[in-house]
Amino acid sequence: MKKLFARAAASLSGRYRTMSIQMVISLSFTAAAVAGMVLMGLSLVWRYSAGTEQLVRENTERVLAQVNMNMDSYLRRMMRVSDTMYYRIIKNADLATQSLEPGMELLYEENRDELVSIAVFDSRGALVAGTPLTALKEGADPASSGWYQAALDKMENLHFSTPHIQRLFADPDENFRWVVSLSRYVQLTREGSTYSGVLLVDMGFSGIEQVCRDVELAGGGYIYLTDASGELIYHPRQQLIYAGLDTENNLADAALADGAHTETFQGERRLVTVKTVGYTGWKLVGVVPRAGAGDDGGYIFLFGLSMLLFSAFLMAFLNFRISARISDPIRRLEQSVKELEAGAREVAIKEDGCYEVRRLAHSIASMVSTMRHLMDDIILQEKRKRRSELEVLQSQINPHFLYNTLDSVIWMTEAGRYDEAIQMVTSLARLFRIALSRGRSFIPLADELEHARHYMTIQQIRYQDRFTASVRAEEGVEGLYTLKLIVQPLLENAIYHGMAGCEEDGRITVTAKREGGDLLIDVSDNGVGMPPEVAERLLDESRPQTRSSGSGIGVRNVHRRIRLTFGEGYGLEVFSEPDEGTTVRIRLPALTAEEAARLQREEEP
Amino acid sequence: MNKQRTNALWQLLVLVALAAAVALTLAWPQLPFARREAEPVEVSVILRSADGSAWANARLGMEQAAGQLRAEVRIVTLTADNDAAEQAGLMQYEAQRGADALVVIPAGGLPAGPGAPVITLESAGGAASVCPDNEALGRALAEAALEDAPAGPVLLVDSVPGSAGVSARLAAAKAALEEAGARVEEAAPRGQAALETVLAETGAAAVLLFEPAATEAAAAAKDKLGLAPALYGAGSTGPIAAALERGTLSASAVWSDFAAGYLAVEGAVRIARGESWQPQTLDFSILRGEDIYEPDNQKLLFPVAS
Repeated sequence: MKKLFARAAASLSGRYRTMSIQMVISLSFTAAAVAGMVLMGLSLVWRYSAGTEQLVRENTERVLAQVNMNMDSYLRRMMRVSDTMYYRIIKNADLATQSLEPGMELLYEENRDELVSIAVFDSRGALVAGTPLTALKEGADPASSGWYQAALDKMENLHFSTPHIQRLFADPDENFRWVVSLSRYVQLTREGSTYSGVLLVDMGFSGIEQVCRDVELAGGGYIYLTDASGELIYHPRQQLIYAGLDTENNLADAALADGAHTETFQGERRLVTVKTVGYTGWKLVGVVPRAGAGDDGGYIFLFGLSMLLFSAFLMAFLNFRISARISDPIRRLEQSVKELEAGAREVAIKEDGCYEVRRLAHSIASMVSTMRHLMDDIILQEKRKRRSELEVLQSQINPHFLYNTLDSVIWMTEAGRYDEAIQMVTSLARLFRIALSRGRSFIPLADELEHARHYMTIQQIRYQDRFTASVRAEEGVEGLYTLKLIVQPLLENAIYHGMAGCEEDGRITVTAKREGGDLLIDVSDNGVGMPPEVAERLLDESRPQTRSSGSGIGVRNVHRRIRLTFGEGYGLEVFSEPDEGTTVRIRLPALTAEEAARLQREEEP
Repeated sequence: MNKQRTNALWQLLVLVALAAAVALTLAWPQLPFARREAEPVEVSVILRSADGSAWANARLGMEQAAGQLRAEVRIVTLTADNDAAEQAGLMQYEAQRGADALVVIPAGGLPAGPGAPVITLESAGGAASVCPDNEALGRALAEAALEDAPAGPVLLVDSVPGSAGVSARLAAAKAALEEAGARVEEAAPRGQAALETVLAETGAAAVLLFEPAATEAAAAAKDKLGLAPALYGAGSTGPIAAALERGTLSASAVWSDFAAGYLAVEGAVRIARGESWQPQTLDFSILRGEDIYEPDNQKLLFPVAS
């Protein structure tokens, strides 16, 4: 059990840790609210039940007290009839000379609604006088009746019987009436001497019925009347009980003390209130079913249940909405941060929700803005750095080549080769014009090839036609754009390395063509070539750069420039075989004028 | 976002449903259709006699049941005793008039499809019945007669030839008597005068009667004419109790007419409301004059009406 509890607690704790803030707030507040409501509801139900039961109890006791008073009044009236009969009529009459019947008839007539008969019997049970029936049935034996014997046994008392059929008198109508017999011991006088007798006053059962009938208690409750031993005197379903169609817990209830009691009879809980009817010892019993005590327990239960469910769901709903108002902006903020982490450029950080969350969102938005500015600065600096690097790379051509060319011009001028000197100077001028290109990094391929031609013209003059050169472009590719000054370093490389061993049969060709979305520019020579491992090493940045004579600009510089500009998919490839020559292929994207212009703008600070 | 909106909509729907449940349960007791009290049921009780006094105790039971079960009971008598045709006509009429159920003490065979469920008293039939075990009652009555060792034939009076219940009692008594070796005679007088004539002319030592009206009439005739045969009857009316007390009636098969009336109306109401209800067999006993004031017999013979 302990382990189970610990496991459950650990499981709950684990779940709590992984719960969202919305779930934690919703569950916690809802659980607290529901617990509070249940506690309050139970308290109210308990108070209501206790109050209702107390009310029912008091109401029943009040009704029973009233019925008891009426019953007592009725019985006292009957006792007064008996007293009047005894003290006013019997005691004043000598039976030898006087008859009891005139006074008896008068008394009967005064109370005939409540009386069935009045009769006086002597000590042997013989009828002395009676009204309205004046003769006994054949075989009737009053002395054997319970009321007769009770009167003689306790002479000082009045005795009330339980209801029974009066069977003593000869009735021409053959009526069988239920009566309650009130009997007492009397002293009869005959010729001055007294002897024992019994006075019988038979009360109609309807008198008792009238007192008890139509008395209703709360929740379908009723009252009934028993004698001291529990024998039924009145019950609203008396004949049903007599016929065996209904039952009552009368024997047990009659044994209870006066006051309210709770009992379970035939599976039904009932509130039973008992009140003893003063002189007779009869018991008035009020019965209220517990199910009916609270008016309508089923309705109240359903109402309570639906109210509890509604309140609990309302609390859950409100808590969910409130917690969502807190957590949703946080979740959106988290989502925005995740998008930023994923590299998104434009992420809108919404500043909504509670004050604290809005402040947090604002802070994050400010931080992101600052970061963006910093990143823009870094990018700008990077661009500037790259541009300056490019410019450095491009500018590496100038001093050495210029010195050599000018030296050649001087030499040719001194030698009187003015035409060649002019051609060289012209080509040099064109070369620089293209190299400048108004500061642009991207120039048409036609210009680049023109630049290569002028460069080759200068070099051919310098090297006195030790090699031939040709520059060709496929139809339609000359309109494409390229990084400027990427062919000339490769030509320089071919001259200084490829043509090193050539006498007059050297050949350098430049061809440009389109391959899908790429522009390929091949610079080939039929020079000495190189072993494959040297060719591989040529573009490897991790290997030390092999510097050689010439302009000082290596293949590796061109390769780096292209990759810096267009990415890793572009650059140079070197194909070389010793003694057969070398081809260096430039791979570039086939740029249109618009694309070149866009790249140009991006490069500019 | 759409999922969130759908969830919120569902939550709102549940909330509205629960609020409606609260309002409904709060207002439920006041709603007209939620009243627990069933509609009153009208039950017509059609006797097989012109005089309903023999069924006074049953009527008390019927009224008690009607009060408890929200029913209205209408007692209908015939213009002539045991007129099966008139009774059949009255059953049709009462059903057409709007009675929800009929309680009938059959004078003869029941008409087919009277138009309302029928509960029978005394005889089996209809949708259900409330009566003693008629065969057992007939046998018990015969045994009571045999106990007194009648010195002569036993006359069995079939006062309602069309009544299946009376016929069943008679047949069972006849079988029991013949089995015991008694000589059995039968008569089927129609009306009190005819019964008096039969009783006056019979040479039987004992006469068995199988229904209350004939028992009352036979006891009255015996007193009136000073007849000798011992009478054995059925029923627990006041005149029968008086006859038992006087000794005019040697024994009577008695059952609670109050219970019979109560159960019959209860059955009629339940069947009219579409509830299930089973036929009821009433307990009976053979009562002699000296037993009638026993407390339990008093309760059985003389109903305390409330």
